[in-house]
Amino acid sequence: MSYIEVNHITKSFKVAKKKSGLKEAFKSFFKRDYKIVEAVKDISFSIEKGEIVGYIGPNGAGKSTTIKILSGILTPNSGKCKVGKMTPWLDRKEYVRKIGVVFGQRSQLWWDIPAEDTFDLLKDIYDIPEERYLKTKEELVEKLNLKDIINVPVRQLSLGQRMRCEIAASLLHEPDILFLDEPTIGLDAISKQLVRDFIKRINKEKKTTIILTTHDMSDIDALAKRIILIGKGQVLYDGSLQKLKNNYANKKYIKVNTKDAINIKMKGVLKKVKEKDGYAFIIDSKQLNISDFLNVISKQVQIEDVEIDNENLDNMIVNLYEDLKI
Amino acid sequence: MKVYFKSLGLHLKSLLEYKASFITTFLSQILVFFSYYFTILALFTRFDNIKGFTLYEVLLCFGVIQFGFAFNESFARGIDRFDKLIIHGEFDRILLRPKNIILQAAGYDEDFAKVSRLLQAIIVIVIALVNLDIAWSPLKLITLLLMMVAAVIVFFSIFLLAASYCFITVQGLEVTNVFTDGGKHMAQYPIGIFKKGFVWFFTFIIPYAFVNYYPLLYFIGKINNPIYAFSPLLVFLYLIPCILIFYRGIKKYTGAGS
Amino acid sequence: MRAYLSYFRLRFITCLQYRAAAWAGIATQLFFGFVYIMVYMAFYESGSAELPMELPQLITYIWLMQSLLSLVSMFYKDEDIFSLVRTGNIAYELARPKNLYFMWYFKIIGDRLAKVLLRFVPFIIFLLILPVPYRISLPASLPHFLIFIATMTAGSLLMTTIITLYPIITMHTLSEKGIVGIIIAFAEILSGIVVPIPFFPKFLQVISKCLPFQYVSDLPFRIYVGNIGINDGLYGLLIQIIWIFIMGTLGYILMHKSLKKVVVQGG
Repeated sequence: MSYIEVNHITKSFKVAKKKSGLKEAFKSFFKRDYKIVEAVKDISFSIEKGEIVGYIGPNGAGKSTTIKILSGILTPNSGKCKVGKMTPWLDRKEYVRKIGVVFGQRSQLWWDIPAEDTFDLLKDIYDIPEERYLKTKEELVEKLNLKDIINVPVRQLSLGQRMRCEIAASLLHEPDILFLDEPTIGLDAISKQLVRDFIKRINKEKKTTIILTTHDMSDIDALAKRIILIGKGQVLYDGSLQKLKNNYANKKYIKVNTKDAINIKMKGVLKKVKEKDGYAFIIDSKQLNISDFLNVISKQVQIEDVEIDNENLDNMIVNLYEDLKI
Repeated sequence: MKVYFKSLGLHLKSLLEYKASFITTFLSQILVFFSYYFTILALFTRFDNIKGFTLYEVLLCFGVIQFGFAFNESFARGIDRFDKLIIHGEFDRILLRPKNIILQAAGYDEDFAKVSRLLQAIIVIVIALVNLDIAWSPLKLITLLLMMVAAVIVFFSIFLLAASYCFITVQGLEVTNVFTDGGKHMAQYPIGIFKKGFVWFFTFIIPYAFVNYYPLLYFIGKINNPIYAFSPLLVFLYLIPCILIFYRGIKKYTGAGS
Repeated sequence: MRAYLSYFRLRFITCLQYRAAAWAGIATQLFFGFVYIMVYMAFYESGSAELPMELPQLITYIWLMQSLLSLVSMFYKDEDIFSLVRTGNIAYELARPKNLYFMWYFKIIGDRLAKVLLRFVPFIIFLLILPVPYRISLPASLPHFLIFIATMTAGSLLMTTIITLYPIITMHTLSEKGIVGIIIAFAEILSGIVVPIPFFPKFLQVISKCLPFQYVSDLPFRIYVGNIGINDGLYGLLIQIIWIFIMGTLGYILMHKSLKKVVVQGG
């Protein structure tokens, strides 16, 4: 029995159809069509205590619905979910004491006053004993380097500073599970690094289970050993990041800049796309040697420039999404 | 409750960041309030009574209702503007916390400028009392206090109902204005001056009559049956189904209801 | 001009999206109408020496007010425009090749017209089939009706010049709540939306005459019910046009002064 067990969870919503144009707007003023959208279809996975899991997928794939179910905000139409001994949506009040949630695009800090005031309020919201609170706060201040910023009104903080405060606010009650929803969105390189290092550290020191959603593949690369890929409401891949990389490692992305037309039919050329100043290829390096490929091309046309992309996680994900047609 | 008061304090602290703006807003509220007051004053310069109620009797009624409304606007603004909480996803945050949802929502937003309306409502009540010839007794004092508390509760109940509506859809939310804002406008006159259907609706469906009419009749001595003095207690009972409906709304929102 | 019209069209489509809001608006305005009418009825039944308007006239006045409220209300709270001003994002608006004053002007009148057009027909049909004391009356005469149309049109244009001032003033105060709130409260009272002008105490009637607000809605409504005669109506139309010119120029000049300030501050 794993720490988090998700079994066959399904959730659907009813949404109004909308079309553009004045005429359609008039029509829908009197009569409106609805459709049922299945945000999540029969999702199952399990997560062990202390794992860091990257939960990825394109926009609208069902990521935030899953997070909301796992954090007790939404009740699924069917399926089971156990975290420890609790079901998030049934034992909500007790359960939420054990989790922390950071929404990268929303803030829980009070905008006009220093973050420390919000922390004090959270102390009462989670009934944290004074001593524990002071100790945790001190620890977080030290690790996230907040000393100079928690006494400044939040609105005066930079995005990176604010995100560090957000994360601290979500950890004051020392949750067992931390949900991070796009925690590095909009941050600069240094702030990203700071946040990632900190996440790794608390995972290691406190054995906090971390579930991370992001579109930034470098987050995943830096943090998660395991990823769950979701598309159109279903789990498409669940396993180690390394394995996924190996599968796609032999797929190379090659960009050839040329003014001439290329006609090539070789085994191992998976894809050819005409671009503005040349062509983009994806080739399978197991079947076709790169130098052989370039040899053939260079005999055909005048090559101005060549770019070979190896192991680029972003490209890999794009390929993956395309292969899976999501 | 402790969390609620603490968040109240934080709202005050936020406010002090914008002192100048607060002062002008506070002042503008006085004027907005005056515009309500103005209708009654203007009409009473033309007419000397409305269905037997004099200016100060109507003002007492007006003061009590405005007090109840302003109290909610000042201290339970988050319920009043619940649609904002839903639209901006702030309600999810509330669900993520292990504390009473209604109190958290109430404390989510405060509008201290509305305290100026609260003060003005009290001033109007005092003016009315000074000018009315009341045969004071302990029971009359209790009646007045019950009326004021019931005014707070009746609006809180209706705000809760309106908030429950937000769980289904935030579209057409304006219709709830009929019962909050519209109710406020109507109930600043003794309900008895309206036509039968209205009186019936605002006695049995939304119990404004037990806030500003039946107890008022006793208070100003038009009726001497002391049972009228306790009629505001019915409004307290009214709160219970409203809370239950709100919790049903939460179930619907989280998808556990249907 | 075409750009402004397509802006107008877009606002209209946006309003159509909010179907439920339109029905809710109808319900609310009906309710308020009934409340006001019943209050006046109760007063009228209680007897008084001099009545500035007959009850049927007053009832029709109130229904006109309720059915055209979006077009005449002095209350305005458009988050789009105000947040633009508050956050300083107004600097981006300057990058557009159109005059900001007229953009706001058309946005406001577009919003208002769309709201009224959507609600007006079902609302007025309902009012025409109401039982007698509550039913809306027909215009006093054809000439009255024609002047009503003219003054109503001018009144809407005047309303827009006044409302466009709110965000312009906000460019100075940076908050739409304080001073603008005070102006809105004054305007609401003095336009006759709270209580029709004839019910004002005498001295206030004099003050109100010297200000633009009563020419937005009180004038056309009273012409419709016959409380103001043909000649006075035409005279009123002239005053409306003068006020449109004054308020429009004032807004235009103030805006360009404020914009200079914004540019200097660098947004």
